[in-house]
Amino acid sequence: MRFIRSVTDVFGYSPFKAIHQHSEYCVIAIDLLVDQFEAFIRGDKKEIFTLEKEIDDLEHDADKIKAEIRTNVTKSLRLPVDRHDLLNFLTFQDQIINYTEHVCHMFTYRETKNIENEIEKKFRQLLYKLNDIICKYEELIDHVASLIATSFSKKEITDVLVHVSKIEHAEHECDTVQIELHKLLLNSNLDPMDVILLRNILIHLGEIANSTARAADAFRTMILGR
Amino acid sequence: MIEILFILTLAASAYMAWNIGANDAANSMATSYGSKALTLKQIIFIASILEFCGAFFFGSRVTKTVGKGIVPIHLLDPHIVAIGALAAILSAGIWVTIATYYHLPVSTSHSIVGAMVGFGLAAVSENLIALESIKWGVLYKIALSWIVSPLAGAILAFIVFSLIRVLILSKLDVDRVEGVFRYLQVITACYVAFAHGSNDVANAVGPISATFGFSETPAWVLALGGLGIAIGVATWGYRVIETVGKKITELTPTRGFSAELATATTVISASYFGMPISTTHTLVGSVLGVGFAGGLASIDLSVVKRIIYSWVLTIPAAAMLTISIYTLLVVFL
Repeated sequence: MRFIRSVTDVFGYSPFKAIHQHSEYCVIAIDLLVDQFEAFIRGDKKEIFTLEKEIDDLEHDADKIKAEIRTNVTKSLRLPVDRHDLLNFLTFQDQIINYTEHVCHMFTYRETKNIENEIEKKFRQLLYKLNDIICKYEELIDHVASLIATSFSKKEITDVLVHVSKIEHAEHECDTVQIELHKLLLNSNLDPMDVILLRNILIHLGEIANSTARAADAFRTMILGR
Repeated sequence: MIEILFILTLAASAYMAWNIGANDAANSMATSYGSKALTLKQIIFIASILEFCGAFFFGSRVTKTVGKGIVPIHLLDPHIVAIGALAAILSAGIWVTIATYYHLPVSTSHSIVGAMVGFGLAAVSENLIALESIKWGVLYKIALSWIVSPLAGAILAFIVFSLIRVLILSKLDVDRVEGVFRYLQVITACYVAFAHGSNDVANAVGPISATFGFSETPAWVLALGGLGIAIGVATWGYRVIETVGKKITELTPTRGFSAELATATTVISASYFGMPISTTHTLVGSVLGVGFAGGLASIDLSVVKRIIYSWVLTIPAAAMLTISIYTLLVVFL
């Protein structure tokens, strides 16, 4: 507005809302991935492709948020956390949705029939665990608002540390399921092509869990590195 | 003739007071609106009354500095002083309006001081006074106060917010703390309005006071300035308060309290010492102080550069504008 002198220039761009939104996209994407897995098991091609498109779009939107943050967090800003720590953390959080997107394409590569019941169950278990870990992760990111409100009080920081270790524990559980699933897959009577595909999916699902744990770790570094 | 000059000076001063109320007073008060400590009506009510009180009861020292402390008016003919005062207040008003249009973070205090220097230099060029008789010592002190005041605001705000953070925020529930500070902020808002009035009234009425020579500035002059500021807040300032307040919602009551306390204390001290400083720059310094104490999600330090640029631009611009207007007035009158 013309003819207004204002002090608002002193308030810089705050990336924290955008980071929270980005994390919400990660949660939604994994939610959709669980649905896509069920469609894959049912052999519902139409649904598989619909969900692939949805996840792909989400990843694209998340990329836009990431770009927005990277463009706006300039050197002249002073944030309550280190700028490099923040951007580093964002890279890890972005990998969560990147790997989710990789997997959503894999479900479309090949129609796989007659997956043994036990393998199907273990896959489902792994996906539920992923869902659990990403929900815990979102709760961690929710802490940002109260961290800023209390100006990083000790109590809030302690809460964050407890939360990060919960995520690390959940990631370890994912690893265990992943190992069991590998054994089942490699000793099954499935078509070798199916085994290749499922194993690829499995490895990437593991990467989603890993990225989440890495992002949580980077979040902790960012909070403690002030 | 001198009566016409005086009336024109009064009109220009009234405009300047209005502009100060509309923009600077509004900015100082917007912190209370952003944190929802007060409603818009309450803010306008508080600002109008306390800006006036500050100007009327505590504005004479700075007014004296601006009007009589820079140009040795006792060495000049009253007719020349009347012309100079009109040229100074007109150019300060014009410059502030232009700069505001181009979104430069200018200060009315810097503008009026630059304008008075311009008046002094114009008188020197006419061989009416010697260059040495301009009170450079006072100007040096004023310039120093312009550097010290934002720093003082920043340091004070840093200390106040750090104390709140360590002693209160880390121990008690945040929402309850903010709830209490919402009320405390009403007090600091009054404090800011009073301090602002006491310092910035001089930017509007300093030149008029010069025309009264060495006798005390009449109370009605300060009252006129205070009234102009109050009207400025009520007629245009509310828009500024709304616009600014909406953008600074992250200045929660504890943060707003810290910034306001630091700003008002710095500004009122400057008024005590008769130094015409920029309230806005002090407020920016105070907000940065809160930010450095870890109170804000993000502060942009590039604003400091912009403020320094507008500083460097304002002094010569206001001075040259005054010299031009002064010359025109002398030629045509």
